[in-house]
Amino acid sequence: MNRTTSFLSVGPSAALVFGLVISPLLLLLRVSLYEPAVGRGFYSPGTVTLANYATLADSHILSIAGFTLFCGLAVATASLAIAYLLGIFLCSLPARQQLVALGLILVPKTAGLLAMLFGLQRWLPRGLLAAIIAEVYLVLPYSVLVIFIQIRSLNPILGQAARGLGANRWQIFQRVTLPLSFPGMFLAFQLGLMWGLGAFLGPLFLGGPNETTLAVELHRQAFEYGRWPLAAAEAVVLLVLVGSAALGLPAIARLRKVAHL
Amino acid sequence: MIRKLSVFIVGWGVICVLLAPVLHTIWVSFSPDSFLTPPTTVWSIKWYLAFLHDQRWLNATLRSLMVAGMSAVLAVIAGTPAAWSLRKMSLPHQRLLSLLFLLPALIPPATLGFGLLPLVYFTGLWGTTLGMVLVHTAIGLPIVFLIVRSCVTDQLSELEAAAAGLGASQWAACRRVTIPLLSPILVAAGIAVFVLSLNESLVSIFLATPTNETLPAVTWPQLRYSPNPMVAVASCVTAVVGMSGVLLVLRLIGLQRGPRLKRINSPLHRI
Repeated sequence: MNRTTSFLSVGPSAALVFGLVISPLLLLLRVSLYEPAVGRGFYSPGTVTLANYATLADSHILSIAGFTLFCGLAVATASLAIAYLLGIFLCSLPARQQLVALGLILVPKTAGLLAMLFGLQRWLPRGLLAAIIAEVYLVLPYSVLVIFIQIRSLNPILGQAARGLGANRWQIFQRVTLPLSFPGMFLAFQLGLMWGLGAFLGPLFLGGPNETTLAVELHRQAFEYGRWPLAAAEAVVLLVLVGSAALGLPAIARLRKVAHL
Repeated sequence: MIRKLSVFIVGWGVICVLLAPVLHTIWVSFSPDSFLTPPTTVWSIKWYLAFLHDQRWLNATLRSLMVAGMSAVLAVIAGTPAAWSLRKMSLPHQRLLSLLFLLPALIPPATLGFGLLPLVYFTGLWGTTLGMVLVHTAIGLPIVFLIVRSCVTDQLSELEAAAAGLGASQWAACRRVTIPLLSPILVAAGIAVFVLSLNESLVSIFLATPTNETLPAVTWPQLRYSPNPMVAVASCVTAVVGMSGVLLVLRLIGLQRGPRLKRINSPLHRI
């Protein structure tokens, strides 16, 4: 395999991600440094200022950032807990039922989310609990997939060995299955945290005025008030939060491992 | 026995709770009223008929299907070689490259949508279906990458090596061995992207204009300003397509492959 082959094989995907994911983010960074528009337009071209970030220190926006963090942690914790139970349940099913159950868990991901969330308003009064439940609902199918794949990949011989050594079911779970499924749980928590931080539809449809996340706020600033620079600054803060969840959590996990040694 | 029964009830119970909003949406779609109220005494298919006669909804549905189909094909074409080579070759910065290809799924969609606005505007993709297709391709890339990477196994490498040993060129080995062996997986990955794209609402809401609006983009203002059962009908339409897709994917990837144990024990595998 020479350099050309590897370059050709990775090239198209890399171009897609650079062109349509990384460059928009860099553009956002630039927009966040413009001065707000005077008169027409969404920003004043050719200006550079940090004033938008200073505006973010406002107590209203700080409380929104605080709620965003809370939302991320709550969604990650709740979806991990429910997904773990479902993952264990799925693994205990015979093959055919497993297929049906997994298909059913994925159904909500296939049926127009917008109308479904709107329908939830009828049963859940808008508020903190409803917003979190809705967001967990959106994240859960992915968490279940991650945990299910992790638990399924465990070698069943280990459980049998533990039973042979006299462990009961609870001990097998606690001393074998649970520790071995930590990597999957960690990944599910991390994904839940990243998606929970970016929560938009749940808080928008089922949250009250206090349940505003950064994503909801930036959408409002950009589309209702046309304040692109401020919205972009909020987007950058959100990206920093998500980025720290992506990079920070593995670092913390590594630290813990070192501490155990 | 009691333990088994309780696990059974709790497990299926949770799944039923997860399905409740979907069932509620289906229920509402049969409402005769102009509001999103579930029908109790009188049921009607009037909103389904209205859907079939409304040009805007129909166009959006067709465009959604087209965008989903095209982005599925493009994502598979772009993502497969990347996943394959990352798995098999020792490229520099492997972890960084993996992260790069997973990035579209990790960025909050609201930020991505907002950032794409100026980009799409400046590149002339504003209001074009092509812009929508490219964006959905990028969003679908992580799925293709994950599915294909998990299926490029040692066994596949051994068969490729065998083909090379029998005198096949790299390209011939790829065409006669790798692609045929991977084809069900590639179809599955394509369908997964199709379903994802069909239901992708956030970025579409940010980028849609009347000339390239997809189904979620039409649903959005309708829901915000005058919600009627039409949105539930649209939801059911994507659900039917999406569900068939999920079933196909699960069949193609095959859950019944069994645990890894088999591979570890099989002496044949070691040869």
